[in-house]
Amino acid sequence: MHVHHGSAAGPGPAGLVIAVASLVAAVLYVSAAVRLRRRGDAWPWWRDVSFTAGGAGPAWAAVGPLPDGPFTGHMVQHLIVGMTTPLLLVLARPLTLLLRTLAPGAGRRRLLSLAHSRGAGVLLFPPWAALLDVGGLWLLYRTEVFATSRHVPWLNALIHTHVLAAGLLFTFAVCLLDPVRRRYGLLVRGATLLAVGAAHAVLARSMYAVGPPGTDFTAADLRTGAQVMYYGGDLVEAALATVLAGSWYAATGRAERRRCRARGRLGRVERCPS
Amino acid sequence: MSAPAHPPTAPTARPERRRSLVVCGVIGAAVMAAVDEIVFHQILGWHHFYDRSTPGVGLLSDGLLHTAELLALVAGFFLFADLRRRRTLAPAHAWAGFFLGLGIFQLFDGIVDHKLLRVHQIRYGVDVTPYDWAWNLGGLVLLAIGVALALRAARRGRAGSAP
Repeated sequence: MHVHHGSAAGPGPAGLVIAVASLVAAVLYVSAAVRLRRRGDAWPWWRDVSFTAGGAGPAWAAVGPLPDGPFTGHMVQHLIVGMTTPLLLVLARPLTLLLRTLAPGAGRRRLLSLAHSRGAGVLLFPPWAALLDVGGLWLLYRTEVFATSRHVPWLNALIHTHVLAAGLLFTFAVCLLDPVRRRYGLLVRGATLLAVGAAHAVLARSMYAVGPPGTDFTAADLRTGAQVMYYGGDLVEAALATVLAGSWYAATGRAERRRCRARGRLGRVERCPS
Repeated sequence: MSAPAHPPTAPTARPERRRSLVVCGVIGAAVMAAVDEIVFHQILGWHHFYDRSTPGVGLLSDGLLHTAELLALVAGFFLFADLRRRRTLAPAHAWAGFFLGLGIFQLFDGIVDHKLLRVHQIRYGVDVTPYDWAWNLGGLVLLAIGVALALRAARRGRAGSAP
């Protein structure tokens, strides 16, 4: 099977820059986590794995082999950059790690005030983050933007950057694992996930029949690409839902243990769930 | 044997019958949807991924339903785990809910998706009538099992509510 590279002629300078940036980020993360563990803090090892794998995503999309067919290849890239990478990075709780390892001082104060700022609160309002993410996708595939980006390298780079940034923002807002001030409830986050999943599925299904305007992909390529988008989206949505439901389960468990211990102090219960 | 004066998480560990029924109903509907997706779309290849004649509203409802099923499966699993953790699962009601969910989804898919919204058909290139009958009767049977189990669970619940 013929494999082609993300950029037309093998890994170009942009691909190498992305690969190096991913590597540097992973090294920084792991060394910060190691420092934390030496200090005696608990920091699960799988978060290091998650962050490193997440960092490897864009590098793979830029320089790694992709499946045959220009549209399918593009869709796999987007799935990696816009959905898998953000999920893996967010699961690693990078903001928590940064806040825990930064020495007290101006830098840490500035980061904390940024995380607690009104602007961050507005940006992390889940429906808004969702609109930036999935709205951008509709704009990309249902206007001439996609056809144009295939001949204009800077536009292509801009689109991939937007897909990554919007994906990160949306995943961060829905999972809400890191300490930001405005905590949106389970209902708004779940409803947003439902709306985004539906919009994503409808777009994917419609592209099975009608490609982005101004492009002439073969029907087979279009169909494979659309199914990659549809089922790939399902996998990531299921993972996001698991994060959401899992954090609800953990939180109700903690609340139940607290209640049980309170009852225990009144001498009413022998054993609390561990 | 030293039986504790209270069960471990007393005084709240009374079976939550209604919640057991609803949670397992959600799981049942989502499981049926998953079976439909895996068996008819993927293994048999009978359903079409996208039928060009699907109207916009069908496409939208399908996308919404498909995502809702996925989220329901995950949410249902965690709610079920929570019932078990608190030892408040009522098994008879849970089974009744599961079959009700299976039947309701099957009938909904057969009548609303296939016939009213015409998202896609069960099979293409053949007379679809016997398939529609088999599909909807299957749904009806599952629903009837669910109703029978629910009635039995309610009867037992009333009989056993005064320990």
